[in-house]
Amino acid sequence: MSTVAEPMPTGRTRSVRPAWTRNLFWYGLLLLASIVTVLPFLWLLMTALKGPSDAVFGFPPQFLPREPTLANFTRVWEQLPIWRFFLNSLFVAALTVTLNVTVSSLAAYPLAKMNFPGREVIFYLLLATLIVPAELTFIPGYILAVQVFQYYDTLWALIFPSVFSAFNIFLLRQAYKTVPNDLIDAARIDGANELRIWWSVLTPTIRPSLATAAVFTAVTSWNALLWPSLMLRTRELYTLPVGLMALRGMFTADFRLIAAGAVMVIIPILIAFIFAQRYFVAGLSGAVKG
Amino acid sequence: MSNTLRSRLTPYLFLLPALLFMATFTLYPLASVGYLSFTEYNILRPAEPVGLANYQRLLGDGVFWLSLRNSFTYLLVTPVIIVSAIALAIIVNRPLLGIGVFRALYYIPVITGAVAVGIAWQFLFDGSGGPINGMLLSAGVIEKPIIFLTEPGWTLPIAMMMTTWMGVGYYMVVFLAGLQSIPEDLYDAARIDGCNEFQKHWHVSVPGLRPSIVFVAVISSLSALKVFDEIYVLTNGTGGILNSGSTMVFYLWKQAFRLQNVGYASAIAMVLLVITLTFSIINVRMLERGER
Repeated sequence: MSTVAEPMPTGRTRSVRPAWTRNLFWYGLLLLASIVTVLPFLWLLMTALKGPSDAVFGFPPQFLPREPTLANFTRVWEQLPIWRFFLNSLFVAALTVTLNVTVSSLAAYPLAKMNFPGREVIFYLLLATLIVPAELTFIPGYILAVQVFQYYDTLWALIFPSVFSAFNIFLLRQAYKTVPNDLIDAARIDGANELRIWWSVLTPTIRPSLATAAVFTAVTSWNALLWPSLMLRTRELYTLPVGLMALRGMFTADFRLIAAGAVMVIIPILIAFIFAQRYFVAGLSGAVKG
Repeated sequence: MSNTLRSRLTPYLFLLPALLFMATFTLYPLASVGYLSFTEYNILRPAEPVGLANYQRLLGDGVFWLSLRNSFTYLLVTPVIIVSAIALAIIVNRPLLGIGVFRALYYIPVITGAVAVGIAWQFLFDGSGGPINGMLLSAGVIEKPIIFLTEPGWTLPIAMMMTTWMGVGYYMVVFLAGLQSIPEDLYDAARIDGCNEFQKHWHVSVPGLRPSIVFVAVISSLSALKVFDEIYVLTNGTGGILNSGSTMVFYLWKQAFRLQNVGYASAIAMVLLVITLTFSIINVRMLERGER
């Protein structure tokens, strides 16, 4: 936080109120906003904990379960391979991130630090693809998956089309530009080849940007719905979002079970968020300037 | 000799993997969808050229025009997101105890994913006894429950609210970074000039956030134009009663993957491409004007 210089309540008559009442006002606002963002999830959790005699819907609405139970969770767990969905999502996200960040940072290096014919053309081509919605490529992508690459109904179908990301290339290019040229020149004089310079000189210095790119790519992959639901037919291959859609179709009669499934799907990403929070938040300022 | 050749090739070798993936999964598909839009194709039989027939069909297709209108209506989320995200960023920019926890709480809707959020929203807006109806009833705003999820007029607004709710936390972080780059003495000057809390932000924060506002406007309007997940999840893949919630991408998906009209869906894709490009050019113009 750079704004430590909070105005001290001096002199001006408007600020005579003691600091704690002023803070109380801001805490009130903060609390109100948290209710809006968190209450839907809390309600989902409470519904998932409700037993058969608790009303899910009704007037007036009942928030707390009278007889809390974990039965809904165990039933969903028994009827659907949630664990399997989780592993599928993890596999897809891990491979997508690894390939995407590697390919993006390879491409970002020459764009940031080398002069070569065609650089401008490639730069603007990348910029143009940034605008194109991925959804427009889904029809030919589907045909490619079925007829050419034959990875329809495999997890590879989710990974390969997500390897290229102009956004990440620009993000990393911006980071590479901040690396001093002296560092690269020194390594060149030492006789290091470019691949080595990229890997052992440049990459370590831009770790925060790499982490940001990785986190964004992971979240996008983790939450992807449309493309995975087009590609996956076999239930054992479902990712969590596709699995949750299927679950909702199965248990239309009992909302408690749907809520339990949703809660189970939210938990892993929530845990990841708690641990990697600063990478979710960092680097965005760089994205604005870039 | 071979050494200089190698060093000349180096940048291209670094770029090669990215360019290969781009060509395969972005450029080729774009060219292909352009070609398919002039054909009739249903995956089973080879594509048959039909000239402009698909585009002519678009002109007379009421659902297409409705989807187009809905996609443009959806752009209303952009100003709402900008205003609420700036307000939230100003609030969480105070060095209060535990502020990090609040920031994290506001970010949760960003990462949870449309399916889980959609389930929570379907529940909240349920017509037979969901909490929103319950609150409105007990507050006396309405006399009997509104069947939000099957009422055609409500499909799009609820999806738009969901988009806003899922997006605000993300854009809040963008604005927070912007706020923290505004020099503190500008605020001091405003205070000396006698600005109150609101005026201070209106005259200092908002102009200072201009680059962030442009960034958010571009990103959020582009994603509003291609909204799909919210509609798909909230309407259980139907698009709502009488296609009331159908958007461009939703209609594209329905024509291509539900009705197997691949050629026709490709024509919809081309229209969306033209709209997106036009929109981006306007955005870039605005950016340039801002820099002058």
